[in-house]
Amino acid sequence: MIKKTYKIPDMTCTNCAMKLESLEDSLEGVKEINASYHKLEMTIEYDDTKLTEEQILTAVKKKGYTAIAL
Amino acid sequence: MQHKKNTLINPIVIITFGVVLIAIAIVTGYQSGSNNSDGNTSQIIVAFVTGLTTGGLSCLAVQGGLLASSLAHQVEQDYTLKTTSKKKEKANSKFNSALPISLFLIAKLIAYTLLGALLGWLGSYFTFNPVTRATLLIFIGIFMIGNALRIFNVHPIFRYFSVEPPKFVTRMIRKTAKGTDTATPIFLGVLTVFIPCGITQTMMATALGTGSVLMGAALMFAFTLGTSPVFFAIAYLTTELGAKLEKFFMRFVAVVLLILGFVTLDSGLNIIGSPYSIQNLTRTWFSPQPLVEAPLSQSSIEQSQPTSEDEITLYVQNQGYFPETLKAPAGKNLKLNLVTDGVYSCALAFLIPDLDFYQMLPPIGTVQVDIPTQEAGSTLYFTCSMGMYTGQIVFQ
Repeated sequence: MIKKTYKIPDMTCTNCAMKLESLEDSLEGVKEINASYHKLEMTIEYDDTKLTEEQILTAVKKKGYTAIAL
Repeated sequence: MQHKKNTLINPIVIITFGVVLIAIAIVTGYQSGSNNSDGNTSQIIVAFVTGLTTGGLSCLAVQGGLLASSLAHQVEQDYTLKTTSKKKEKANSKFNSALPISLFLIAKLIAYTLLGALLGWLGSYFTFNPVTRATLLIFIGIFMIGNALRIFNVHPIFRYFSVEPPKFVTRMIRKTAKGTDTATPIFLGVLTVFIPCGITQTMMATALGTGSVLMGAALMFAFTLGTSPVFFAIAYLTTELGAKLEKFFMRFVAVVLLILGFVTLDSGLNIIGSPYSIQNLTRTWFSPQPLVEAPLSQSSIEQSQPTSEDEITLYVQNQGYFPETLKAPAGKNLKLNLVTDGVYSCALAFLIPDLDFYQMLPPIGTVQVDIPTQEAGSTLYFTCSMGMYTGQIVFQ
């Protein structure tokens, strides 16, 4: 399991954080996602044998946001 | 998600107007049935009108996300269906967001009515004095202004004006929002009680202040009913017309929030009798006559002249207090006559913060207030208990 934090500069409300956290349900290998509108950040804990960083970035993009690795 | 509309006249317009008409009928019914009530009716009308004019937008800014969650999954499914199905199937697959929005709003209405009853019941155990109410209003005003500046993305600090619900709540909402059954929007509508907007919070405080289960419930019912048409129309439009319009509406909401925030803040300042409220400052800046003994308008002169040597008269009307500025002699005890004649607005809830005087005036009659000796050049501010209508007594 690894933990990574991304900057999500295009979040506009708390609902955006909720949308990003919903990736928990659709991405295989994710243990937990914590997104904060206050910090414009998303922290994801995942199994790197099942999920790659590229897949995460693509999934975030599909939700309409840009993730920048910190 | 962009949706092209297939019909010119949408049933939603009819439903929205229907809701407005029903709401107006209910309120009018209340009004005609209780003309002699002591201000409860006017409080309910104010709650309804507040909801109708501003609450809907403010609520949408805070709770819109929840409704969007409710609809997102269904819209997404519909969109997928539309893009993958054949032409004939497409015509039948039009997602009708009216039903889930209606269910969401009905559930919200019931939940808030029950919350109002609960607040009224709790309020019966303690009382809200003007200072507490003023503090609450100032706090809510700052909260609203902060939220408006947040929407405008003025500075990162303003993001903290948006309350992030706890993780377990968002998780529960998310799980619920996945459903496409009718229970989903109903449950989410109920959940809105956990994320009330600034104006709703003000109304909740007012419901608490009623100290009555029935009145608390009626107030929240009227307010939430009032918010529904705007909430409905905008939620429907943004769902149907896409993100670009949502952005436009959010900016519109921010402008309204900003104005309301200043109005609320100003009301709070009025209630504590602050000379720095917008109303009191502008009165001083733009109407300097009483301070320099310049002649008043004819009607003001007639009204503001002491009735007798030690008495001054203030006319309380539905639109406020007249004259707004009273001149009074300094250095002696005075009697202030408050005259009402068929008044049903919140002007009846009369407050002089510096004297710690508060009284609910009768709709018709005269109430006399003792004004202790004041120094020359001093000013006593008076206001209604909501901080909407204000005025001052200038001592010379």
